[in-house]
Amino acid sequence: MPSWALKLGSLCITLLVVAGSYDYAKLHLKNAAAPLQPPVDGGSGPLTPPAGVSPTPLPPLVGVRGNRTRPPSTPAPFLNLQPGVQATALPAVTLTHVS
Amino acid sequence: MDPQLFIWLVARTTGMASYAALCIAILSGIALRTSVLDWLAKNRPLRALHDWTTWLWIPLGAGHVVALLLDKTAQIDPLDVVVPFQVPYGPLQIGLGTLSLDLLVIITVTSWLRRRMNDELWRWIHRTSYVMFVLLFLHAYSSGTDFNAPAVSAITWAAAGGIALLGASRIVFGRLPE
Repeated sequence: MPSWALKLGSLCITLLVVAGSYDYAKLHLKNAAAPLQPPVDGGSGPLTPPAGVSPTPLPPLVGVRGNRTRPPSTPAPFLNLQPGVQATALPAVTLTHVS
Repeated sequence: MDPQLFIWLVARTTGMASYAALCIAILSGIALRTSVLDWLAKNRPLRALHDWTTWLWIPLGAGHVVALLLDKTAQIDPLDVVVPFQVPYGPLQIGLGTLSLDLLVIITVTSWLRRRMNDELWRWIHRTSYVMFVLLFLHAYSSGTDFNAPAVSAITWAAAGGIALLGASRIVFGRLPE
């Protein structure tokens, strides 16, 4: 066999391996059984904030006009419930804070 | 496609392909000193093939190294390409690849400078190709992401086994009879 045929054959084999390897790697992006599993981060925890950064305090869940007391609500009308279901004696939530 | 994902695919692809190219290089080199491929071609075309395979594995090997340098997950530094066992994770596995690359560069450069070298020295350096291949195989076995895939594993083991058998035959028996 001439040398050009051997060279062409080796080139074809190599290109075949390149194409096959790329296709295989594309279909198998992750391999949990791979012997090496490098760390994704630089070692910090997933919820650890960067140094020098403090979490922003949340605003108080209170109305701007002050803490209002809930006005007494009128008792809700009695409901016809299924057997085994009891109505509660707690006052019904009929009013909400006005923003 | 995410650039980092593409780089990761290139690293894996070039790793496998450069292994294949190096197998062809070593097989053709062994064939020059045995008669196992006499049915395929005479020594002159085999020698041309052996020299030609250098231009197959160099771009593939370079692509493998460059892709790993660019891969942010791999965390390979430029110095790790030359100095083995310095990587923060898998130092042995990746260091084997570094060692094989170092040997491969020495073998290739000395081959290009063969005419200016002592012939015996060149032969002994070139014989380290067997050591280089063993290191390369161990690198692939211990760190290759795709090595445990059935097809990849079968082809890799088969190539390594064939080269090991021919290499052992060459060492023990010299030129094999026709």
